[in-house]
Amino acid sequence: MKEFLDLEAQDGVRMTWNVFPGAKQDAVSCVIPVASIYTPLKPIPNVPVLPYSPLRCRMCRAILNPFSIVDYIAKIWICPFCFQRNHFPQNYSSISEDNLPAELFPQYSTIEYESNPETGPTVPPVFLFVVDTCMIEEEIGFLKSALAQAVELLPEKSLVGLITFGTYVQVHELGFALLPKSYVFKGTKEATKEQILEQMCFFTRKPRPAVGVIAGTRDGLSAESIARFLLPASECEFVIEELQKDPWPVPADQRASRCTGAALSVAASLLGVCVPGSGARIMAFVGGPSTEGPGAIVSKTLSEPIRSHKDLDKGSVPLYSKAVKFYEGLSKQLVHQGHVLDLFACALDQVGVAEMKVAVERTGGIVVLAESFGHSVFKDSLRRIFQSSEHDLGLSFNGVFEVNCSKDVKVQGIIGPCASLEKKGPLSSETVIGQGNTSAWKMCGLDRKTSLCLVFDIARKDGPDAIGQPTSNQFYFQFLTYYQHHEGQMRLRATTLSRRWVAGPGSVQELVAGFDQEAAAAAMARVVSFKMETEADFDPVRWLDRSLIRLCSKFGDYQKESPSSFSLSPRLSIFPQFMFNLRRSQFVQVFNNSPDETAYFRMMLDRENVNNAVVMIQPSLISYSFHSGPEPVLLDVTAIAADKILLLDSYFTIVVFHGMSIAQWRNAGYQSQPEHEAFAQLLQAPRDDADAIIKERFPVPRLVICDQHGSQARFLLAKLNPSVTYNSDNPPPHGGDVIFTDDVSFQVFMDHLQRLAVQQAYS
Amino acid sequence: MASAPPGPQRPRPPFIPNPNTNTNPNPNPSSLPDSFQNLQIGRPPPPSAVPRGVAPPLPFSSAAPRPAAFPAGPGPAPSVAAAPPMGPPGLIRAPLPSAAPPQSHVVRPFPGSPPAGAPSSQPFAAPPPTAPQTFSVLPPQSSGPFTGNPALAGPPNSQPYMAPPSSQPFFGTPSSQPFRGPPSSQPFSRLPSSQPFMGPQPPFSGPPASTAPFGAPAWQPQPRPGAFPGSVPPPVRMPGIPLNAQNQMMPPPPPAMGYSPHAGTQMSTPLKIDPNQIPRPMPTSSVVVFETRQGNQANAANVPPPATSDFVVKDTGNCSPRLMRCTMNHIPCTGDLLSTSSMPLALMVQPFALPHPSEEPIQLVDFGETGPIRCSRCKAYINPFMRFIDQGRRFVCNLCGFSNETSRDYMCNLGPDGRRRDADDRPELCRGTVEFVATKEFMVREPMPAVYFFLIDVSMNAIQTGATAAACTAISQAISDLPEGPQTMVGIATFDSTIHFYNLKRASQQPLMLIVPDVQDVYTPLQTDLIVPLTECRQNLEQLLESIPNMFESNKVAESAFGAAIKAGFLAMKSTGGKLMVFQSGVSMEVPFFCEAHKLLQPADKTFKTMAIEFAECQVCVDIFLTTQTFVDIASISVVPSTTGGQVYYYYPFSALSDPAKLYNDLRWNISRPQGFEAVMRVRCSQGLQVQEYSGNFCKRVPTDIDLPGIDSDKTIMVTFKHDDKFQEGSECAFQCALLYTTVYGQRRIRVINLSLPCTNMLSNLFRSADLDTQFTSFLKQAANSIPITPLSQVREQITNLCINILHSYRKFCASVSSSGQLILPEALKLLPLYTLALIKSIGLRNDGRLDDRSYWVSHVASLSILLAVPLVYPRMISLHDFTSKEDDDISLLSATLPLSSEHLNDDGIYLLENGEDGLIYVGNMVSPDTLQHLFGVSSLDGVPNQLVLQQFDNDLSQKVNEVVNEIRRQRCSYLRLRLCRKGDPSGMFFLSYMVEDKTPGGLSYVEFLVHVHRQIQTKIA
Repeated sequence: MKEFLDLEAQDGVRMTWNVFPGAKQDAVSCVIPVASIYTPLKPIPNVPVLPYSPLRCRMCRAILNPFSIVDYIAKIWICPFCFQRNHFPQNYSSISEDNLPAELFPQYSTIEYESNPETGPTVPPVFLFVVDTCMIEEEIGFLKSALAQAVELLPEKSLVGLITFGTYVQVHELGFALLPKSYVFKGTKEATKEQILEQMCFFTRKPRPAVGVIAGTRDGLSAESIARFLLPASECEFVIEELQKDPWPVPADQRASRCTGAALSVAASLLGVCVPGSGARIMAFVGGPSTEGPGAIVSKTLSEPIRSHKDLDKGSVPLYSKAVKFYEGLSKQLVHQGHVLDLFACALDQVGVAEMKVAVERTGGIVVLAESFGHSVFKDSLRRIFQSSEHDLGLSFNGVFEVNCSKDVKVQGIIGPCASLEKKGPLSSETVIGQGNTSAWKMCGLDRKTSLCLVFDIARKDGPDAIGQPTSNQFYFQFLTYYQHHEGQMRLRATTLSRRWVAGPGSVQELVAGFDQEAAAAAMARVVSFKMETEADFDPVRWLDRSLIRLCSKFGDYQKESPSSFSLSPRLSIFPQFMFNLRRSQFVQVFNNSPDETAYFRMMLDRENVNNAVVMIQPSLISYSFHSGPEPVLLDVTAIAADKILLLDSYFTIVVFHGMSIAQWRNAGYQSQPEHEAFAQLLQAPRDDADAIIKERFPVPRLVICDQHGSQARFLLAKLNPSVTYNSDNPPPHGGDVIFTDDVSFQVFMDHLQRLAVQQAYS
Repeated sequence: MASAPPGPQRPRPPFIPNPNTNTNPNPNPSSLPDSFQNLQIGRPPPPSAVPRGVAPPLPFSSAAPRPAAFPAGPGPAPSVAAAPPMGPPGLIRAPLPSAAPPQSHVVRPFPGSPPAGAPSSQPFAAPPPTAPQTFSVLPPQSSGPFTGNPALAGPPNSQPYMAPPSSQPFFGTPSSQPFRGPPSSQPFSRLPSSQPFMGPQPPFSGPPASTAPFGAPAWQPQPRPGAFPGSVPPPVRMPGIPLNAQNQMMPPPPPAMGYSPHAGTQMSTPLKIDPNQIPRPMPTSSVVVFETRQGNQANAANVPPPATSDFVVKDTGNCSPRLMRCTMNHIPCTGDLLSTSSMPLALMVQPFALPHPSEEPIQLVDFGETGPIRCSRCKAYINPFMRFIDQGRRFVCNLCGFSNETSRDYMCNLGPDGRRRDADDRPELCRGTVEFVATKEFMVREPMPAVYFFLIDVSMNAIQTGATAAACTAISQAISDLPEGPQTMVGIATFDSTIHFYNLKRASQQPLMLIVPDVQDVYTPLQTDLIVPLTECRQNLEQLLESIPNMFESNKVAESAFGAAIKAGFLAMKSTGGKLMVFQSGVSMEVPFFCEAHKLLQPADKTFKTMAIEFAECQVCVDIFLTTQTFVDIASISVVPSTTGGQVYYYYPFSALSDPAKLYNDLRWNISRPQGFEAVMRVRCSQGLQVQEYSGNFCKRVPTDIDLPGIDSDKTIMVTFKHDDKFQEGSECAFQCALLYTTVYGQRRIRVINLSLPCTNMLSNLFRSADLDTQFTSFLKQAANSIPITPLSQVREQITNLCINILHSYRKFCASVSSSGQLILPEALKLLPLYTLALIKSIGLRNDGRLDDRSYWVSHVASLSILLAVPLVYPRMISLHDFTSKEDDDISLLSATLPLSSEHLNDDGIYLLENGEDGLIYVGNMVSPDTLQHLFGVSSLDGVPNQLVLQQFDNDLSQKVNEVVNEIRRQRCSYLRLRLCRKGDPSGMFFLSYMVEDKTPGGLSYVEFLVHVHRQIQTKIA
């Protein structure tokens, strides 16, 4: 494992297979797709930032990298991707073996370029708040104070705009000093850029050009007309104070009329008019379901429930597909403009995250789901976005991600927060998954943690020439990320990788050696989520089981038809457990959650790195007791004991679980007695660890502190392997617990796996 | 004037030319109260000076200085007796506008003489000789008549005619010299043709009787010199053209001439017509008291005074003629008779017409939960003409003839005269007009609050021309005139190419501005809080109005979305209804431009009409103030106010200097005049007639009723009738107008206005009782209605034919004895040719002129009252330069009108011409710099803008002129737009276009027109 982590530390890349199956057929039989999970902006210490433009291959546009073969005499370099010979330009004339430019240093496989740092675009980032006002006063109060705080934290130069919505959409003109002033748009209609231009008087001082793209100062909009709506953060704190509840009355038997879709459409068009192509985020704060206009998810009648997974399965939700279609359109517009949609959904009800997912995800937006604007999950997450600290998000804008790879590798697509730019080339595979059919992707918003999962296709046909040529058994990859750094300048990060491939018999061991089970689990989770959303009648459990069986069948050590002889290499050993937990996770067992929650979980899964993804799939469990220091324990019901404290990190929720005795002691107040200081420390330890996790995680997880047998304990129990259930033969040890479920335990799962893996049929 | 009696109770705030903005405020504080009264009275024509200042109260106020006046009343009695010969004639006198003057002069002569009562008629009457009828004609002999009068004897005898010169002389000459001045009798002598009449009409003596009723003459006996406020030194004209002038001034109005069946004005051979002798309106100078019903019987002779004269009404069964009057005071028994007469049969209904301050207010009757008594068949309301029979157990409906049972609660025994014993105690049984409290059954919802929503154009043009600022200031000042109370709600919005609403309900916070940018599909940004009780937002509102001009100071939006804005305003007030006041300057985005001139007068498309009907359904009444400097397509825009009971105000070309004052006054009057909301009106009439058509500013959704989201004291609705059966001679035809409305204080009322007129088979009766002003107004409206759909030349022809047909009918059936070479005009309609000519030359029917002007004229006329219709077409012109030489007060100055002929304009004179809308001040090119200095504060008019702000300077002339202008404003309930017209300048030409008697390139002179009419009649007869 260690070597994979080291590689990740150096380049931000994890690959399911670090040794590639060398031919198409091999790759297929490997079951787990060849994929890499790449974190483009992963903070990597010591990455040099070169103050000049990169040198590109004149054939394939790849960037000079340590894998290039350099002829110092002839001043020529050979591109490892296309083997094109390129001359060094004049400014590289002094190059020699002893005088290398940084990009050729082998340890700088990841490097950044910052072109013309002085003249680079310094358009400050724009934050357009889109705020729901159909909420009870209390919630509005919470939201107000959170926003006020956020505005204070914004970099002074950044621009702020405000749109509120309820029955109607109100675009507040902040630069109008005399009165508070706002433009009111109907909630039932989308607003196009054209309409915004015309209706909001952008062309009153000049004749409007008859044709052509109209947007931004470059196309003739006066800066003042833009400044009406987007104001430096330092000048607009007052606005938040003015927020008021939507004044339209709501009958008792109806939902508030809330036009989320129209508001977002107006916001998108406004940004499209004012700041196309430069970094801007729409931050939507939504407190309930959209009931009006485009993107409505439910009718206003309260007696009609909001759609559930069951309804979606049955296809009995006419509004759903319409809304999704609307948000797809919106996402296209936003991607075109290079703007981000962030969603802060805080309500006990669903608000339509499932429908908005497409727009949030394709623009690389942030999503936070909480029960209330007063909840710390929301408040702290919002603060985290703007706060500069060691864990800050490093919000960047306007990214474009490109891939180069050796000719035998193609890209099927990316599962993650990005949008295909439809730049089809020899590199794009016929098989498409996620955002595919391209070799370039738009990442309107990205941050230090954004991780993309690229799924590759090994296109190399098995051929006689393929064997026995050790010099050519390397694949090369180059990931190029252009982005607007959070400080304003444009940067390019280039990561160049090489991986060996193997083929033919005897390659199995080598493949296994390069298998990264965590990365594989994360990739499988993304793939299965993607398939569940896109393939009708897809049976995820069956698909996962079959994949696992086939994998084990191919890579396990066993004698045919002898389950007991089955064993797995350590490289594969915990993978079945990942799959077991994935099967039981919120990603696959969606019926325990609302469509909104599922969408939220998946969006987080799709943007997180391998480590965090693994936590989502298989939460970590740490046990605290007097007997020993904190120790990780199996995610199993047997971990529960009366005298232990358990800390469960399931990524979205952190549970501190006090065993019965601990709870009694605590209730008796021992921790405050000097003679029981050890107890106090024991109580504190998991809290401290939880805080540490919370501090670095975004969105901020929900912290649940509970006692054994308490109602909140379900947050823990749901995640544990039900090795002891109410109908188990073996009673739990004293102080232990049972889980009331009919789910199979891991043990049963493994038994079946072994039995099936060794069957002929799967080999 | 200051002594104006307190008497009159006035329901609503009167119209006052704003003291504030008015640049030349009325200096005399005491005059204010007076003005109030006047206004309230809404009394029309100028003459009244007298009444106002002094006399008016007389009738009722004990305080009145000269009770004597009234006593005059008694006079009548005698006169009546005297009059006899011509039964009816006596009564007739009233109708002629000119009638009044004669009286006055006549009267004077008889100071002390009892007969005075019968003044006007007398003069002629007595002198049987002259042909009272032929007024123009009056031969010199006529003087004779006067001689008869002892009183007159003195001076008159010799110069009999002086008298006739009527009013002017009188006024001029203080009582002392009474009749002398006028010595002018000569003028008459000149009178050519008249002879024919002379001989024949002895009968006229009768007329005197009629006069009696009007106490008017009363005071004359008293020679109080000073008292006569009105007295204008006769000399006015004298200087230049002594005799002639006088003549002109006072055409020998045979006014009071009785109406002998054949009475008529004859013109002898047209070619010989003396322009000085042809009929012209004569201002009356005295107030008469008119009892709407005499005795229990319809009195055929009880003809109301001319609408444009000054009178006080005593409601004794029929309604006040101000509220409702008919084109003829006899109803023809058959449709054939009506068509033979060629006259129109129509009612002009002005349900909220301002009363004279001395009149009793309309009484309110509350029948409790049962609601007003109604005929169970036709639903007519109880009125004085319903006949109780069977000891009061049943009553017979005067409209449908159905015999109803009297409810027990309402039972009352009948007296010996067949009337209910309590008839005089119950207003609904003795008054022509009453109001009933409406019960729940008349309400589909709670009565609406008084809602006022202001929409202000803030597009670039509006801002730059100062129109926005003017509107804001006007609104801000007018707010205090809105009805008090929690029921009064206001809202405001501004618009350019988008619409800006304001949330005013933000305690202690600034208003919030909410912009609706989508004008294709408008909506209101809030459901509540856009319209807020005035008490809760007054401060916010005032601040907002103050800051609006600044807020949009640099607005560069050139378009204004008028249509969308009114739609949006409508949506804001949809739930309650109310008044939507739009201040529009720019070119409306929605109005497409057409080039076909004829089509332009029709709305460009149906959008506005559809919208307007929707507005009306929700009780939204739209008034539009057009403060513009460009073409705005009034034809299209005006559909909205005219369908919703509102009106168009037009300030073109808008001047930031002179128009704000008028804008403010118009707005103020608009909201403070008597008015009602969410009204429904229906006119019922006796079986035999049926309503043919309603015409005015309203929305009609069902055939029988008209919906009036707003109805006010200035609005008049014309109702035409046709026969569907016959009447018996001697029966009566009743009209009942019922108006269900909500007061500004939120009470639901039903105003019921009754008029019962005798039926006749005699054509001559019809002519004798014809009501000129009303008929003319009907023609005017008819013309306005056809302008948008008929070529102008055709409309002019139609109008001329109407006139010719009537005169022809008269000539043929009523005056057949006379020689065919004579043009004979019915006394009552003798001014018809003049008015017809003026109408043909009016802005609406002229070929030249701007389309918007014509469209505005059309829309203005649609709801115009009789009072204002006449001056609109035949304006009043007076000379100003000689004011100082006259000693009368402004009111009598006002009655010294000049004929509208350029012959009467002198190069060294200054003249004021006003039509109730505009005031044109014409300055000759020889006027002395002194006069200019006095009047305008400059010695030369070079560089003085045409849009005039009349200032008041510290000199006699200036003060008098200001007083007169203010007096006109009060009379017309309108703040005149003053324009300066200079001879030899386009503005002078414009002024001259009002000289309707002149020959113009496209039109005949008055004399020529008479000739033309005469020829046509002759042709027809032949």
